[in-house]
Amino acid sequence: MLLIIKYIAKLLKALSSEASPSQIAGGVILGMIIGLTPIASFHNLIIVVLIIILKVNIGMAILGFFVFSGVAYLADPLFHSIGTSILENQGLQATFTSMYDSEWWAMTRFYNTVVIGSFISAVILSIPMFPVTIFGVNQYRDKVHAKVQKWKIVKALKGSKVYSIYQTVNRVRS
Amino acid sequence: MRVKGVIFILVVALLGFGLSFISVEGWIEESIEEQASILNEAKVEIDGFTFDVFGLHVGWSRLQVTNPNNTMMNTFETGETEFDVEFWPLLWRKVIIEDVRLTGFALETERETDGYFEIPVSEETGEPEEPGFIAEVTSEVGNEISKNAQMEFSDVKDDINVDSLMAMVNLQSLDKMDSLKTGLEQNYQNWNNTITNNTVEEDVKNIRTTVEAIDINKLKDPKQAIAALNSLKKVTAQADSIRTFITTTKSTFQTDLANSKESLGSIDTWIQEDIDRAANVAKLPEINAQSIGTALFGGSLLGDFNSYLEYLGMARTYGSKLIGSDDEEEKIERYEGVNYEFTDKYDWPSFWVKNIELSGRTNTDIDLSGQVTDISSDQEKTGKPIIFDLGGEDENAVSLTVDGEINYLGEEPKEQVKVAYQGFSLQSTKISPSELLPYDLTQGTGRLSVDLSVIDKRIESEVEYLAENINFDFESAGSPKNTVESLIRSAISDTDQINATALINNTSGPLNVRVRSNIDDLFLNALKGTVTKEVEEAKRKIQNEVEGRVNDKKAEVETFAREKEAELRSEYDKYEARVNEQLKVVDEKKAELEKKKKELEDAIKNRAQDAIKKIGF
Repeated sequence: MLLIIKYIAKLLKALSSEASPSQIAGGVILGMIIGLTPIASFHNLIIVVLIIILKVNIGMAILGFFVFSGVAYLADPLFHSIGTSILENQGLQATFTSMYDSEWWAMTRFYNTVVIGSFISAVILSIPMFPVTIFGVNQYRDKVHAKVQKWKIVKALKGSKVYSIYQTVNRVRS
Repeated sequence: MRVKGVIFILVVALLGFGLSFISVEGWIEESIEEQASILNEAKVEIDGFTFDVFGLHVGWSRLQVTNPNNTMMNTFETGETEFDVEFWPLLWRKVIIEDVRLTGFALETERETDGYFEIPVSEETGEPEEPGFIAEVTSEVGNEISKNAQMEFSDVKDDINVDSLMAMVNLQSLDKMDSLKTGLEQNYQNWNNTITNNTVEEDVKNIRTTVEAIDINKLKDPKQAIAALNSLKKVTAQADSIRTFITTTKSTFQTDLANSKESLGSIDTWIQEDIDRAANVAKLPEINAQSIGTALFGGSLLGDFNSYLEYLGMARTYGSKLIGSDDEEEKIERYEGVNYEFTDKYDWPSFWVKNIELSGRTNTDIDLSGQVTDISSDQEKTGKPIIFDLGGEDENAVSLTVDGEINYLGEEPKEQVKVAYQGFSLQSTKISPSELLPYDLTQGTGRLSVDLSVIDKRIESEVEYLAENINFDFESAGSPKNTVESLIRSAISDTDQINATALINNTSGPLNVRVRSNIDDLFLNALKGTVTKEVEEAKRKIQNEVEGRVNDKKAEVETFAREKEAELRSEYDKYEARVNEQLKVVDEKKAELEKKKKELEDAIKNRAQDAIKKIGF
């Protein structure tokens, strides 16, 4: 329970002021790529490393992963058809064949319709997602954050014993 | 860039490498032992296991594979063994090994501890395994061996006590005849019911009534005739269907009676089987070249054949277990998509050992070495069968070669093995376990060659045994104990070479085992004037006794069948005649009606022509 509250509090904190909008957008996008593509893919290992070493918001990356995993569950048939059309594209056959022949590339499993379909979709989606998320974060900070603080649920959360313990722990740690 | 993040990644990577380096050997050794033991259904033990994570180099100092049928013995064991596992296929969960250097290979070695292994409950199939085809053949050949072992040639007595012999023989033909009679009785009863309890005669009567109701004389114009013909058409159709029924029934009836008659022919076969069984109990041998050859060399040649066939059976069993593992599919929660294979580069089998350089020593101290290539879980993927070629010799130039192929590339599994074992000394050994040849050899060398081919469920094999430069030690055996022995001694005294061949095949039906040798005829001639007479006399007595006990029953069954069949045939003929008689009336009526219709039509035609003439056209 403490972990969940801690996670929600961190998210709200990041949204309100702690992290820059670009860090939040970066986290969401990287989480989205992991969420949309099959998790046990080689490229996701690289993205996890990127999340850890780049200054993106990790909480937002986790949130992005959970949200987009649900979306992916429904969108896999669509990814499959996108992947099929990519893999069957005559102009790309030579490229795919040479990629397939290289073990390193083959490890990415880009020869799988869902892997390549979801990966390409996620990459394309991240282009508009980045400015949209930045815009969304700015809008939240300007117009929504103050209202959220007044929500009964947030007040109740802040007034709860668990939250005060969390704050105490945080103070001691800092 | 998050410095803490970079440090974290580095620490995780280092820890991962460190941990795997420390604990991986024990874990891999245990896993291999566990999985291999499940596959083998008895312990597989590895000693001195080493695994180099970075070089993917594997080795052990000893591997023991327990024989599941005798857990105090190993099916085989190896000494120092080393090989490299290919890296990339591992990422595709495939184990590909290029070269294995395997030393100290030995078959059928004794174990220091019991190799029993309790298979975990979840791994058991739950259903008992059916004996495979090869196990069935092995058992059939085993029966043949034990049958030969019972044959006695030199101790035949013509004064057998048939009463005590019959007490030991269960005459099965009596029960079989009883059951045949019951079957026939039921069959005849069924036909009786078919003939008496059916509605055919009733239907035919109804048709006849309908037909007789049509009064042809009352028909005045063609219209009435056509109407009458139409109503007749319906009953004619019924009559035709009855005719078809009668024809079909008659054909079935006749076939059935013919089958019953044929089954009566089995009685003689059953009686003969009883006679043969009694002769077996009395241990009366068949005196012919084939049975002598089988008695002399069948035991050893077929025993050798069975040993090699068991190895092939083992290969087929392990092969099918390995192949089975390729079909297992991993469950993936999400929609898994489709893999596009642009080349066949990763189309590896789950398991593939490309080349094994093997060396070892047989239990007769022959230093054996050679190659086994392409052991895989899916030969279609490798495109290569398992090929083995081993050979070697000991210090006395006794040599052994084993080569062959296990090929599952075609539609039918194919296993072929050729074994040649030659140059072994026969001094102080017996050339045959048979009582006909109880003499040790003072000298001689032997050669055994086995050519075994199994294609799906068809076996074609030849086991050949050659003994050269032999000399029988008659002196140690003392003077001949009876005439037979004396005749045999003089027949074979000049023989210095014996070759025996066993042919085992089932290509034209049931398993056929033939054993012949170059001394069969010598024995046959020696036995003809003596044992043959006694055997024939004893056989005649047994035949008379068996026939005396079963002939009454045979006559009873045959008479019953004859009488019942005649009775049924007569009833059926009467029944058929009755139906045909009624149907004949219908046919006659139909013909009359057709005729009347034509008359009426002609009359109208004539009247019309007359009228036209009158008008003056």
